[in-house]
Amino acid sequence: MVLKLYGTPYAFGATAVVAMVLLEKHIPFEFVLVDLKTGAHKTREFRERHPFGNVPCIEDDGFIVYESRAIARYLADKYADQDHGPRLIPVPTKVQERAVFEQGASVENVNFFPSVLKVIQEKFEKPLHGETTDEVALAGYIAELSKVLSVYDDILSKQRFMGGDEFSLVDIFHVGTGPGLALGGIDVMISTGPNVARWWNDVISRPSWVKLQAEGIKSSV
Amino acid sequence: MVLKVYGLGVAVCTRRIATVLHELQIPFELVEVNLMAGEHKTPEFLEKNPFGQISYIDDDGFILYESRAICRYLATKYKSQLLPAAGDLQAKAIFEQACASEYCSFDPEAAKYVLETVLKPSLYGTTPDTAEATKILEALEPKIAAYDTILKKSRYVAGEKLTLADLFHLPIAPLLAVGGSDVMTSQRFQNVKHWYEELVGRASWKAYEGGVKTTLAY
Repeated sequence: MVLKLYGTPYAFGATAVVAMVLLEKHIPFEFVLVDLKTGAHKTREFRERHPFGNVPCIEDDGFIVYESRAIARYLADKYADQDHGPRLIPVPTKVQERAVFEQGASVENVNFFPSVLKVIQEKFEKPLHGETTDEVALAGYIAELSKVLSVYDDILSKQRFMGGDEFSLVDIFHVGTGPGLALGGIDVMISTGPNVARWWNDVISRPSWVKLQAEGIKSSV
Repeated sequence: MVLKVYGLGVAVCTRRIATVLHELQIPFELVEVNLMAGEHKTPEFLEKNPFGQISYIDDDGFILYESRAICRYLATKYKSQLLPAAGDLQAKAIFEQACASEYCSFDPEAAKYVLETVLKPSLYGTTPDTAEATKILEALEPKIAAYDTILKKSRYVAGEKLTLADLFHLPIAPLLAVGGSDVMTSQRFQNVKHWYEELVGRASWKAYEGGVKTTLAY
């Protein structure tokens, strides 16, 4: 039975992170739209799959996984030894290489994600709820994010990608939030430093991301 | 060379690492970083952790920062039972799901509450903003309710075996009570209460009640 991906259809947010992994690894999938506007993710039925009532989640022949970063790891793990595109995660036996990957994964969710989320909420989500963006607060959040990205620039002067020298899930974890900034005229992902710019362009120019931006998330079968 | 942990005896992240070190019975030396003197912003420190944050480890020259990454590294290196079995694809997925839930669904509000009600008062002598604290708790409650559902079906967050995913919730969880919230021990969430009380009863948690210290023997 083909894998089912439940979530939102845009090249934005956590569902897009999983969609990019599916495309990178050439994994066939069926996309099932969850309409957040109708609260479809908060129903008792949906919470049977995802007790926290969020998207995305997957169903792989009856096996359910939620949390985009966990789904991504599961997919990379399941399709590691076959002819399914790049590995995207170092083998656990390469202990130090894997540790550097985990360090990068933690950096994304502890340092990058909370910072970029504040920018996204102020710039994009407030207007969606009929509130006005507080430009002073927004400038502060962008400054905080720039500080994080300055450290990224330092890290990326010593290693090619955020999880090490190979392109990996750690880089993909950034696509749920990073690309949306440019839509609001916020260019920190390429203006903070030359190494971040080089890295970011490498990530968003991958054919999997280009396809998602152009077409949105669609069933591959 | 004995493992060195650069951090602070009272810091949340240092305690997270020490709890796992204790579980694994790994000797370590705590090297306290003088945050008050800005030691974490010096060029020497930034060479080790470019974010200028504690903690980091030096394992015979191998430097690593981010407490959860450090815990994963140690558990992998010492082939610990605190990780799912290498060949069990589904157990690994559930483990990663539980780890992701910890930092996405538990830590954000829990840490905010602790900051408002415990850290700010103790560091700056401020009075907690009770309205803000209540708002944070209102956001945390549904997450704890979800945990209660999960822990009704399995003994630990990643299945029937204790893993790093459970331990990652320490030491923020006990600080919720210090801040005045009983959400982890309330009768409303019986399964969470049972799970939580087992975790804080463990020797690895109790060992550093007065703060993390160098442990060369167990």
